[in-house]
Amino acid sequence: MTKNKARRIVAIVLVAAAIVMGIAGGIFLPQRNGETARATTEELRIRTLLDVTGDGLVETYVKIARDEAMKVTKEAGGNMAARREAANKAEEETRALYANTETDYSTIDTSALAPAVAEYAARLEVYYNLTSDAEQAYIDAHMAEAEAEAEAAREAKIAAGEEVGEEKPVTVDMSGFVATPEMEAALADADAAFEDVAAALCGIYPALDDDALKTLKPTITSVVLQQGESFTDLYDRYMAAGSGKAVTAPTKAWLIRYADDLLYGAMALIVAAVIILFYETLSKKLGIPRIVLGVFFILLCFLCLWFDLSLATLLSNSLVRMGMNAVMVLAMVPGIQCGISLNLGLPIGLVAGLIGGLCTIEWGIPGVWGFVVAILVGCAIAAIAGWLYAQLLNRLKGEEMSVTTYVGFSIVSLMCIAWLVLPFQSLKLRWPMGTGLRNTIGLDSNNFKHVLDDFLAFDIGSFTVPTGLLLFMLLMCFLMWLFTRSKTGVAMSAVGNNPRFAEATGINVDKMRVIGTVLSTVLGAIGILVYSQSYGFMQLYTAPRQMGFIAASAILIGGASTSRCKISHVLIGTFLFQGVLTLGMPVANVLVPGSTISETLRILISNGIILYALTKSGGESRA
Amino acid sequence: MSAEYVLEMRNITKNYGENTVLNDVTLKVRPGEIHALLGENGAGKSTLMNVLFGMPVIHATGGFGGEVVLDGDKTNITSPHDAMTKGIGMVHQEFMLLPGFTVTENIKLNREVTRKNIVSRVLGRNMETLNMNAMSSAARKALDSVGMSIDEYTRVEGMPVGYMQFVEIAREIDKTGIKLLVFDEPTAVLTESEAKQLVSVMKAIAESGIAIIFITHRLDEVMEAADSITILRDGKLVTCLDKKQTSIIELAELMIGRKGEAMVSVEPREVPHDETAMSVRDLYVNMSGEEVRGVSFDVFKGEILGIGGLAGQGKLGIPNGVMSLYPSDGEVTLFGEQLTLGNASNALRMGIAMVSEDRKGVGLLLDQSIEDNIAFTAMQVKGEYLHKFGPISLKDGAAIRAQAEKMIKELDIRCFGPLQHSGTLSGGNQQKVCIARALTLNPRFLFVSEPTRGIDIGAKKLVLETLVKLNREMGMTIVMVSSELQELRSICDRIMIVSEGKLVDILSPAASDADFGLAMSGIKPDEHRGGEAQ
Repeated sequence: MTKNKARRIVAIVLVAAAIVMGIAGGIFLPQRNGETARATTEELRIRTLLDVTGDGLVETYVKIARDEAMKVTKEAGGNMAARREAANKAEEETRALYANTETDYSTIDTSALAPAVAEYAARLEVYYNLTSDAEQAYIDAHMAEAEAEAEAAREAKIAAGEEVGEEKPVTVDMSGFVATPEMEAALADADAAFEDVAAALCGIYPALDDDALKTLKPTITSVVLQQGESFTDLYDRYMAAGSGKAVTAPTKAWLIRYADDLLYGAMALIVAAVIILFYETLSKKLGIPRIVLGVFFILLCFLCLWFDLSLATLLSNSLVRMGMNAVMVLAMVPGIQCGISLNLGLPIGLVAGLIGGLCTIEWGIPGVWGFVVAILVGCAIAAIAGWLYAQLLNRLKGEEMSVTTYVGFSIVSLMCIAWLVLPFQSLKLRWPMGTGLRNTIGLDSNNFKHVLDDFLAFDIGSFTVPTGLLLFMLLMCFLMWLFTRSKTGVAMSAVGNNPRFAEATGINVDKMRVIGTVLSTVLGAIGILVYSQSYGFMQLYTAPRQMGFIAASAILIGGASTSRCKISHVLIGTFLFQGVLTLGMPVANVLVPGSTISETLRILISNGIILYALTKSGGESRA
Repeated sequence: MSAEYVLEMRNITKNYGENTVLNDVTLKVRPGEIHALLGENGAGKSTLMNVLFGMPVIHATGGFGGEVVLDGDKTNITSPHDAMTKGIGMVHQEFMLLPGFTVTENIKLNREVTRKNIVSRVLGRNMETLNMNAMSSAARKALDSVGMSIDEYTRVEGMPVGYMQFVEIAREIDKTGIKLLVFDEPTAVLTESEAKQLVSVMKAIAESGIAIIFITHRLDEVMEAADSITILRDGKLVTCLDKKQTSIIELAELMIGRKGEAMVSVEPREVPHDETAMSVRDLYVNMSGEEVRGVSFDVFKGEILGIGGLAGQGKLGIPNGVMSLYPSDGEVTLFGEQLTLGNASNALRMGIAMVSEDRKGVGLLLDQSIEDNIAFTAMQVKGEYLHKFGPISLKDGAAIRAQAEKMIKELDIRCFGPLQHSGTLSGGNQQKVCIARALTLNPRFLFVSEPTRGIDIGAKKLVLETLVKLNREMGMTIVMVSSELQELRSICDRIMIVSEGKLVDILSPAASDADFGLAMSGIKPDEHRGGEAQ
């Protein structure tokens, strides 16, 4: 009871905080485009300008002091070291002198500066608009040429048998670009306006000399130029220049700047409150692992918003990755239902699918038909291999987990030899010298790259919906669902659920296990082809080794146990797993820049989930 | 030897939760006597012995009431090891022997004769060297005392079962200071001659002054070996008798007794015997722990035939064998048609349904819904509840739902709805789901194995009433296997008693307790009486 009470109190506090944050955000967010925001940015611009100029001034003083000190020491007959020491000492002293001086900006009269800056900004804008127009025209004129060049280079590479990487967007070489007369005129105009600004600044900082102004010009220009930039960007830039304290109403400016984050925070708090309030119901319905991952996913979404990453693009990416992986995850379903537990021998199917894909490239069948042929060939091979694999599993009942893992690893190693000796002739597939297939085979529009992804795909803002991919995923799930409702499917799931029960009904347990295993392997073959067409590459050699584990952990995240699963577990699990990985990487990169933390995170999550599931597999089968 | 009794267990009471398994039981054993402990399965024999040996299961469930007195001193036995040091030994039903070890090593296990060596002086006792000679001579002595000539260096692995039993006994005798030996069903696995030898060994041991508690259900052995006899029934002490003042018939009667009132009363009727529904000839079933060794019987159409007997005697093997759930051999005909044994679907197709005794293991798909459980067998065996689209057949959700709801209503299955997982139901409701599944097959013949095991009284009554209703109203032929004799007697037309995998006799439910008692211990009542008369 008290626990419930505490929970309710926490939830109320959170909701109250959320309401406050939400109201604050709601009030201040619209002000970004309003007068306050404009005034604030103007003010900030002037202040930043003064600030950087002041800093430039300090540098000037420092320089003077150093020269002075050097000169004095030289006259006193000091050697080089002594001179340097004296100069450093003078610099330190000068800096110390100015470090703690708080400039009270409000006492400075900016009446002359403000209009000058505004004028300079306007002229600069004209100049930059002209520049970007001219540049775009240049690019348009030279695009075809550049494309032809890139294609030629690519052909040459293929002909020479070198590895061809992913197609990069063609770029136009800008070295031939020359400024137009209009641009030059605008630049002259702007420079004239800068003279006014410089004069106004000299009025404020009499010590400012021409040399210092020359050095400061790029800085001043960058401060003044604010064309096309949002309030947030400007605020952040001015803040970085160190003049936050200078604004008349810093709290208000801050609130306007972070109004969106306040709104996100409010939403996050409400989500947290809901989870705390309904924790028990949720954990009963979803299970703790799904809550943990779900909360983590939501947290990542909020972090993306917080760090101003494009959430829509990232979610779109996760949707694509979900579609890419879902069929492979679906391959776990017949395995679990027929009682061979997690089919970690999935690489058998993957390899079969890859061979199917190689065949279409070898035979040069383009587009959708290439994909269809790849699937047919892959399925045929997968069915045969799966049948043999099932015979092995039926002879080693009760040891499925180790058998599947072992088979998965050995087939990958075996195929590492096979890839070297398979008689494929296409230069796209072979190494240029010697024998054997390439490590990574790039697909292009001549093969089946993106046949599903691009089918009926459409954009909503920066959110791309890979319609074909999702439809295919749903179609496979639907077919699997139909199968589980068929007489054979029902018998198969009874075998997985309780083999003795199935036997007591006269069901051939071994046969059902064979059906399940073959089905799982065939789905694996289809899965890797779907994955490859979306990824744009077919990866041979050791690449398929991990995929079985990834698929297994995805379905376990979705709520399946090693003896029980549903189609919904596939969809939930794949989305959560891929979503967390897709969102986690950029967020981790922001949190810990320049690290490989995201890769570490991926390994941690996928292996951690498998480990967790295995601890559960021995216990009760009811999740 | 001052005290009159080597062991006195006074007023022992033991509860498992709300369930009283021992109620005020007293057991007194004199030195050097063979004291037989008699009782049906579940009478409380094992629990009493668990109390005596201080098994963890007793302490973990709240201890027991009453006191244990050894040699006149009140003692508190805390663990099996404690019992051993206090001179109480046990010869187990399942042999506690290490197969890869020699007879000597098994006998002296954990009581090895050792010699000190350099390492042990540093690292302690565990590093001492075994004194093989001393150990084997001690083992030899123990083996001789049980009349076993087997070499003490033979490995236990591959020995005849009877020998293992004697090795166990030798091990107990070898323990110094042993005062009391418990034999738990020692003759169950022995051949007749071995059993005779065992009895004589027991007598020899008893003469040397060691008291023996002899747990068995074979009344003839009791009469041959025991000096005094304690009988338990339903956790209560029935009586303690001197062998000389009793007879095998009295023992049988006392062991069975009347257990309360019949839960379901059925109007007496003429046993139907017009048409044979099933005839079984020479049925052998290889079901471990429940082997059937050549049983022949006929079931008449429209009757309820009961199969009774003590646990492990093969009564469960009969339905499991006919349904081919375990490897079986023999000749079975159903309404004149030959049934090929070996595949469960044959029996199901011919219209025999079975409600298994192993509800969770064989009877249910615990992870699936009630409706899927109910329709499963009919769907797989008879192809019902399916939509057919050419070669593809999908399950007919609506028909399944309708059938499930009908069954839930008729059998009063308490659940949240047909989609609830059967694993979350109570035992009684799970049993009803099993029955519903069998009925959904529309069988001509129904096997019901232990239908009331592990379910509460209300559910028991309902299950039994359902069976009677099926029989009377639909004319279904039912064979019911149960360890609860009272249950069989309340609804069956005839009761078949099985002992040691063989049919002993078929009795009327009105037959006397003594007859049932005799039959259960493997003695055909008529023959016994005939023997007495001669």
